[in-house]
Amino acid sequence: MIEQEDIEQRLARLAGATDALRPSAGFSARVMLALDAEAAPSFLEAAWFSARRLVPVAAVAAALAVVWAVQVDNSVDDEIATSYAAVELE
Amino acid sequence: MDILEKAVDRVLSGDRSAFQQIVDATSQKLVRLGARIMGNQADAEDVVQEAYVKAYRALTAGEFDRRSSTNTWLYRIVVNGAIDAKRSRKRRAEASDELVDPGWDGAARAEARVALSGPDDWLAALPADQRAALVLKSMEGLNNAEISQIMGVSEGAVEQRLVRARAALRQKREQS
Repeated sequence: MIEQEDIEQRLARLAGATDALRPSAGFSARVMLALDAEAAPSFLEAAWFSARRLVPVAAVAAALAVVWAVQVDNSVDDEIATSYAAVELE
Repeated sequence: MDILEKAVDRVLSGDRSAFQQIVDATSQKLVRLGARIMGNQADAEDVVQEAYVKAYRALTAGEFDRRSSTNTWLYRIVVNGAIDAKRSRKRRAEASDELVDPGWDGAARAEARVALSGPDDWLAALPADQRAALVLKSMEGLNNAEISQIMGVSEGAVEQRLVRARAALRQKREQS
């Protein structure tokens, strides 16, 4: 029991000795700087998020390009067929 | 609702500057807690800074469910961070078989170093979780229910850690 009291007394004394501990000067500012660094996206992250916004536009552009290519292909086929018909008539 | 909870509300509504209020209101006791567990102020400030970054990330991600008070939640993040840091420091020391640099730098104040050399020498032999439980109980003055909430274990497990820590300190005293 006496030993137990010794331990508790020593812990209480150490608590008192460390009670006045304060963060070093500028600690709060360092924390906020760390948060700034956390909040600011890296170049790759920024590029990735910018690129993600372009995905729907790129998808629509690709679909339009396919439609245009099919239309051009059909009109070329029509012209070739017309030219063959003209040759046969001659 | 106290100033801390109001500041949390403001951060949750997107006001990042309100986090400064949380830091100002809590940094003194969190750094003191971290220093008592880590044994030096420089390591404690690293642990607490990392804890604030984790807390901010959790707040902005909507991961803080507010089942415990903001104070208890911050204590939990710091205690877990300090226990992890103590364990990895010990692993590094065992791997390199060298004495660990106590982490004091020129900026650390002399009186803090003197104040902490006592608990660090005496409590150094304790496992990190036992030391944390003992610091929370006997230095921070928390009860077992509060400690169990902070450490995420049952009150029985807290009592077991305290009994083992005191037994180890008694044994150390008998050996010296």
